[in-house]
Amino acid sequence: MTVGLAAPDGAGIDLDGIDLSDREFWLQPPAVRHAVFDALRRERPFAFYAEPELPWLEAGRGYYAVTRYADVDAISSRPAVFCSGSGAVSIIDMPPDINEFFGSMISMDDPRHAKIRRIVAKTFTPRMLERLVDSVQQIADDVADGARRKAEAGDGTIDVVADLAAPIPLRVVCDMMGIPDEDRAMVLQKSTIILSGGDPELVESLEDFAAAMLEAGGALSDLMNRLAAERLADPRDDLTTALVRSEVGGEQLTHQEIASFFILLLVAGNETTRNAISQGVLALSEHPEQRDRWAADPELTRTAVEEIVRWTSPIGWMRRTATQDGEVNGHRFAAGDKFLLFYGAANRDPEVFREPQVLDLARDPNPQIGFGAHGPHFCLGAHLARREIAVTFRTIFDRLPDLTVSGEPSRLRSSFVNGLKRLPARLGER
Amino acid sequence: MSRIVVDRQRCASTGGCEAVAPDVFEIADDGELVVHRPEPDEGDLPDVREAVRTCPTLALTLVDGPRPG
Repeated sequence: MTVGLAAPDGAGIDLDGIDLSDREFWLQPPAVRHAVFDALRRERPFAFYAEPELPWLEAGRGYYAVTRYADVDAISSRPAVFCSGSGAVSIIDMPPDINEFFGSMISMDDPRHAKIRRIVAKTFTPRMLERLVDSVQQIADDVADGARRKAEAGDGTIDVVADLAAPIPLRVVCDMMGIPDEDRAMVLQKSTIILSGGDPELVESLEDFAAAMLEAGGALSDLMNRLAAERLADPRDDLTTALVRSEVGGEQLTHQEIASFFILLLVAGNETTRNAISQGVLALSEHPEQRDRWAADPELTRTAVEEIVRWTSPIGWMRRTATQDGEVNGHRFAAGDKFLLFYGAANRDPEVFREPQVLDLARDPNPQIGFGAHGPHFCLGAHLARREIAVTFRTIFDRLPDLTVSGEPSRLRSSFVNGLKRLPARLGER
Repeated sequence: MSRIVVDRQRCASTGGCEAVAPDVFEIADDGELVVHRPEPDEGDLPDVREAVRTCPTLALTLVDGPRPG
């Protein structure tokens, strides 16, 4: 599918020709996708689409694409009416065990969701993360120096994704969990497959996608089971130890719950921050005046991080499923209806954001919902992600001030992750 | 005098309040939110109001008057 870029605000787009379930749509440049979202938000705020076809599962009844901020927030903040337990990360209904295996508590409702969330909540609080600041800085310094060495040893170029954006969150999350160095390349490879969306470069065919997902999940699960057993016998100061020893109301997490949570953490902790960083670098190269302003003013970091998350919206959507008939903001729905909450669309809603198509690192207030809207599933890692983004960009300004994007980004063909596979850049003279 | 009320059904221990007003709010080891100063000082109020406003689960409210009873 190709969509001609009509007007910047989406005026003149033929919405009948748009299908958000068409994978090719997600390869369109961001300007085109945002123009379509502008038109949907204005003209069809609950647009209905057939489910994408997958070779091994039967498609369901279809879904509503929610693009207005107020609607995303209203649905997200009523978890009893709009549940996650039918699957939050897949449009097509998956078997429940697969849902939970890959989604962990993202695809759970209370009380189980609350139980598991409380066990890990303390680890991700701002207070606990204070202790991590030095290590995040050290990791970012190391990675930036590595990128410099690579450029100097080669032709002066690096890949922002592979050499900066991927290794920083990977090392942070692996450090937190105590993953041995020798297993980390595997962790990155498997988490990339799980969130590939079936991108043809990462998975050979859609027929192979299911097998590849299961293989990747199995490999991560095996690693976690091994580590869990090691930590039970030999406790350390890491999240893995905390998880295997944790009890809530006298109940321990099962091995399956621990393995699934690990997969969630690895995948969610890697892919999201990686794409916030890589897409953020790209955004700053497209808005050099904003980049120069932030580089010159560390005080801008608090608002700049929020704007990077708003602008990049690394997670495309989460799904909710109606548990009963009802109405939301004038839209009637029936039990079983599926809603995809398109965060990137809501994050550019002119009802909430003044000049939403302008990147403004000083935007304040900035009620962006890149970490999810109101409700119990708000991103567990939000504080960590903010820290990683802040440290990474300050480190780029300090250690790689000569970084310039030198080629076109290669985009991931996925509606779920707004991802870059590669972003070529040059270190040296501008 | 103002008093902080936590809706325990809504609270998901996101720590958003702790980020804004760490002297008043803390996520405890068991993952439950502890309010150190349920009746915050005048000086705490701006941060507490911000925490209430920005709570990701809408679990906090600030009501007038001391604890009933």
